[in-house]
Amino acid sequence: MNCEVCELKELVVEQFEIREVLRCILHTIIFHRALGLVRPRDINCELFELTYVQCGVPEVEKEIEEKITEFISKISKHPNRRSHQVCLSFYETKDKQPAWFSSKTERVYWERWFINLQITNQRVNMKPNQTKVGFDPGEKLSSLEEKKLHRTALEASIRENLFQIIKFVNEKMDHLPHIPPNAEGISYPYEITILSSSESSLDMLKRMLQTGHQTTLS
Amino acid sequence: MAAHSDSGRTTEQIVSQFLSKALHAILAARIPYIHGPTPPPSRHPRKRDRWFHLALGDPPPALEHPSGLIPNGVMEPLVVDILLSPRDDPTMPEAIVERWVAQCEAPAPWSPLHSPAETSSNSFLVKRTYKKSIILLRSIYSVLRLLPAQRVFKMLCASNQSYNHDLTYRVSSFAEPFSRKEEAEFQYHCFAPVETQSGQLAVSVQYRPSLSQFNLEISSLLPPMLITDYVGSPAADPMRAFPSSPSERAGTRSSTSFPLRGSQHGQPSTSAPASAPVFFNRPHSWTGGPSEVPSNRAQHPNHPPTGSYRKPAFNFDEFKFSPPFYMSPTPSPPKFSGSYMQSPLRSETAPVSIPQSGSSKVKVLRSPNLSDPTRNFLPPPSPRSARTTDPSSQDSDSRSFRRPDGLRTSDGYSNMYGTPKGLKDGRDDSGRFSLSGSPRFTFSRSSSRISVPDDLDDPDFSYPFAVDDVDSSDSQARSNDGKEVSDFGHASSSHKSQDAAVGVLVHMLRTAAPLRDSTYSSQSSKSELQEEGLGSTSSFFMSRKASDALEELQSYKSIKEMLLSQSKGKLH
Repeated sequence: MNCEVCELKELVVEQFEIREVLRCILHTIIFHRALGLVRPRDINCELFELTYVQCGVPEVEKEIEEKITEFISKISKHPNRRSHQVCLSFYETKDKQPAWFSSKTERVYWERWFINLQITNQRVNMKPNQTKVGFDPGEKLSSLEEKKLHRTALEASIRENLFQIIKFVNEKMDHLPHIPPNAEGISYPYEITILSSSESSLDMLKRMLQTGHQTTLS
Repeated sequence: MAAHSDSGRTTEQIVSQFLSKALHAILAARIPYIHGPTPPPSRHPRKRDRWFHLALGDPPPALEHPSGLIPNGVMEPLVVDILLSPRDDPTMPEAIVERWVAQCEAPAPWSPLHSPAETSSNSFLVKRTYKKSIILLRSIYSVLRLLPAQRVFKMLCASNQSYNHDLTYRVSSFAEPFSRKEEAEFQYHCFAPVETQSGQLAVSVQYRPSLSQFNLEISSLLPPMLITDYVGSPAADPMRAFPSSPSERAGTRSSTSFPLRGSQHGQPSTSAPASAPVFFNRPHSWTGGPSEVPSNRAQHPNHPPTGSYRKPAFNFDEFKFSPPFYMSPTPSPPKFSGSYMQSPLRSETAPVSIPQSGSSKVKVLRSPNLSDPTRNFLPPPSPRSARTTDPSSQDSDSRSFRRPDGLRTSDGYSNMYGTPKGLKDGRDDSGRFSLSGSPRFTFSRSSSRISVPDDLDDPDFSYPFAVDDVDSSDSQARSNDGKEVSDFGHASSSHKSQDAAVGVLVHMLRTAAPLRDSTYSSQSSKSELQEEGLGSTSSFFMSRKASDALEELQSYKSIKEMLLSQSKGKLH
């Protein structure tokens, strides 16, 4: 089975925007891959003028929140590293021949999504010698304008990412496994992994191959 | 029609259901109140919901008969135009902001789909078609939320204000081509087609990338009105029914509505029944909204929209019972089901507040915390009531004074009684207001405020002029003489005086000049009246406080003298 890979365009985000951005993208992907019966929920972003769709499965929401929290805590331990990646993978569980010290089942990944984030400092526009005394309203205005520009640009990038997701899911359908009958909610198992900062997507695939996860790149 | 399992469906069924569901999704995401004032209740998914594994709820009444939608089968294209119609100016043309086209294009003669295939591969094709249709429908659902018109839809749904535009729709099997100039204003998004045995199921949308040119703003037709008889005012009966909506009071103001709404509310209809689709001049086309009466609009472009199909966008009764229709059966957090009630709160004028008694410890009155719909805008408890009240009983007693869901307003009345902070810090007599005479009131603005009774349980705590503690432990420290009785009588009279002051203020507010008279003199006179009222009230409080203080002093003096005389007597 082919493993389709989609590398989303990198998003430049500030620390406090990470949660909202990841929620938006992860839920959108899962909504298009949770092909069981769902009751969709519209979610209005708090930070952006965006509405995305959740599949309405509480377990999915809980897991996504946990993973985002884990991601945020990991990146806080590496403040100097800017680029980070979250990988959402869909797989099938297949039986393999039993062997010593190995499991009887294996995961066969058929689709991977790589979400690329570049974390910026929150005060990139502040000068080192800037203090509260002698506050310049003009400077505050320019920083507000910069923030506004950043927010607008990020919103446009997220929208672009969402359209990229929709385009991908529409064009690549042949590799999807069979939908289980009377499936409710999530139809395919998935996992969310946080790639280490030094590990790229290719490194991750290499690692998966070396550890025995059989994936076939298309 | 639909089987519970995926098998047993034919291609034609799939395409037909797909078009129906796509239309449902589009209208539900673009037309406010398409289900009427009361959204369908959330329930277990039905057969209809199981199609494409996407539970959208009950379709609007206009879509109950899919045969009317696609009269000639699945090969006719489905064209859905979403229009932005000006409300105030009927001479202005409505503008198409989105055009959705879904059709099943017949396969080419050389296409492998053209020739009949074996039964086994038929089944495989049908399953594959169905799976891809599921994904396509999800994509349509997502794209609907990403296009600019979604913002307009949210504004029209979420606000109780009346805007100068409405979102309407037109469904037809024929797409009138745009002019070159119009075409240049649109962007195009095409979904990947799904191969079926009947052809390729293709969906596309043309949309305006920006709607700023339409100047969507709050309509000026609804004049601001001063609501003096709001539920919850001290003089009003707590059980009084909701007042009529401002728009209904305004008269026969016509506004956009769907005939569905009009018919559900029993509005008089001079045209065809609302639920029946009205066909436009061309076949297989019907519209929703002001253009529902096609003859009027097509033949008499200057004819104003009939009032029968127009319903005030803002209907207080509707908001009383249900939130506006929202696509998701479980609306998002903001957001929506309850927040729409709070949006008018934020848009109201600043509440009138009566300054508390002139204690230097009184904090600035804060506006109530509107974010939590469970707040009770009740006066703070009296010291005695606070001591005798435990948190568990607070809700039960305050419940009787809780306003109905539709009328939680940041009116000035709720601010007249100050904040519990004043109780905590000011230790003044702000807590001695009593709405109905019941001592068991609790004023809660935030969870931290519930701890007010805890503070008052402190035996060392004492109000400066807490004279109404007849049955509390503090009162036992005083001598049991007639002074206490008189103090109690004075306390009850002071309670009544406070109520009287509140009543005076409410009366002033009621008789104040309406805000519509926007002349400076009227405004200044009104503000003068308010200031005067506030001033008199504050002076009343000042005098009351001084008199209380004097009485207290006298009572202490008398107690002191009595004790001294007793001690002298013992010595002798």
